[in-house]
Amino acid sequence: MGEALEPDRLGGDSIAASEPEVPRGPDLPGPFAVGRYARKLQEEMRRRARVLLIGEVTGVGRSKVQAYFELRDGEGAVPCAIWLDDLEKAGLPDGALRDGAEVVIAGGPDYYPGGGQASPSFSFRATHVRLAGEGDLLARLEALRKQLGVEGLFELQKQLRRPRLPKTIGVVTAESGAARRDLLAGLERRGWRGTVVWAFAPVQDRHAAPAISAAIQELAAQPRVEAIVVTRGGGSLADLWAFCDETLCRTVAMLRVPVISAVGHERDSTLIDDVAAVACSTPTHAAEAAVPLDCGVARIDLERSLAALCRAAEGSVRGRTPHLVALARGPARALRRERLSLNQKTREIRAASERGVTERLGFQRRLATVVLERARLRALGAEMQRRRAALHRAAVALRAHEPERTLERGYALVEDSEGEPVTDTAAAAAAERVRLRFADGKVEATIGVEQPADADLGEQDRR
Amino acid sequence: MSANEQEQSTRVEFDSYEDAVERLEQIIDRLDSGQAGLRETLALCREGRELVTYCAGELDAVGAGLKELKLDELAEKLADETR
Repeated sequence: MGEALEPDRLGGDSIAASEPEVPRGPDLPGPFAVGRYARKLQEEMRRRARVLLIGEVTGVGRSKVQAYFELRDGEGAVPCAIWLDDLEKAGLPDGALRDGAEVVIAGGPDYYPGGGQASPSFSFRATHVRLAGEGDLLARLEALRKQLGVEGLFELQKQLRRPRLPKTIGVVTAESGAARRDLLAGLERRGWRGTVVWAFAPVQDRHAAPAISAAIQELAAQPRVEAIVVTRGGGSLADLWAFCDETLCRTVAMLRVPVISAVGHERDSTLIDDVAAVACSTPTHAAEAAVPLDCGVARIDLERSLAALCRAAEGSVRGRTPHLVALARGPARALRRERLSLNQKTREIRAASERGVTERLGFQRRLATVVLERARLRALGAEMQRRRAALHRAAVALRAHEPERTLERGYALVEDSEGEPVTDTAAAAAAERVRLRFADGKVEATIGVEQPADADLGEQDRR
Repeated sequence: MSANEQEQSTRVEFDSYEDAVERLEQIIDRLDSGQAGLRETLALCREGRELVTYCAGELDAVGAGLKELKLDELAEKLADETR
């Protein structure tokens, strides 16, 4: 459209040819008589393509011959006029062409050059008008939805962290209406008794979208408001159209406070549902989304946690008490063990010195025996000697299998008080007191069973 | 572990109900595992109790009674508080 308004084209050859050229000031064609220029402008305008426009009607007025209004949406507006004849032919219901109505008009741009007294004006000359149907609105909604989706505006709110237990919730809704009541009931059912900050706004007419936008922004500016619910009851898409407003939806998308939308009923899908952090089908659901935590359940969980903590604290002490007691007894037991071992050693030393005397006597006796034996063997003869040697070999072989032989190599045999061998740890633990049989005698011993101590505590104890 | 370090390890750091509950669940899992030593168990129990107290406080804060304010009333209230 812009190019048509360029002076070059408007003051084109046809005009320039019939007027004398008087170059003054900037080097441009003209000056032209304004009235002729105005009519030329009108011609240019009327030559433009006829189109369909969709938008919201505002500022409806009537003269004797025509109705005029502005058709606008979030991005801009066009002044429109329609002859009353044409309006009548359109067959709209009475009062349908009113502020806030969403309409589709057919026509093209026109310019009224004015007259001696009348002011000139630009308007879009509508020849047909009809109320926008679901189809028109849906087509527009889809285009908007695609646009905002491409810009990534649907994701921003969803990335916000929503507090599970907000203390203050902002709500944008109509002052009177079921939505307000339902939301409150939903919050109370959650066991939530925090603060609700109401920002009432019209939810259906041409003032709705800017008012809702402003309310949301004001709520978001309050540092205490942790989530914002936007809600209204069901209606036709035209009724809910304010919630598809591009400016409103862009505002919501950019907010740092999560917005929960509950507009219309389940089947209604407005654009605010797409940009909001959460879209709910009813105000009751919105209450649950705003306070994800069921406070009643949370209280029970908390009591359970406290009980678990108490149990753990008591259990950890009670479980360790026997071990602590055992450890406390430790030093005394070690002393007793030392004393016992000392006594044993004393006895052994005494026994060894006695044995020394006995062994010397024994040695002399064995020496004498060997000498006598040799004499005797010599007397018995060679055959006897061979038999004795074989017997001796057998005896040696046999002895190798006797436990005493093993003991001589430094091993010890563990016996219980009955003299039965103790062969495993369980038996040892059961016996408590045992005898260690060495090659040279027996020693009493006490089994100190290592309790399955807490490793951590054990370490600390050593530190 | 010095007294100072212990104090740091048991200091409760959270800024929301959900953080507190998440930490509380971790603590209870750890205690249930039976792997915590005595000292750790007692420290965890102490921290856990603080968390429970905090959470209970948060629940109490939204349990006293539903308050309804209009936006301008909230703004006035905030102005009064900062005065």
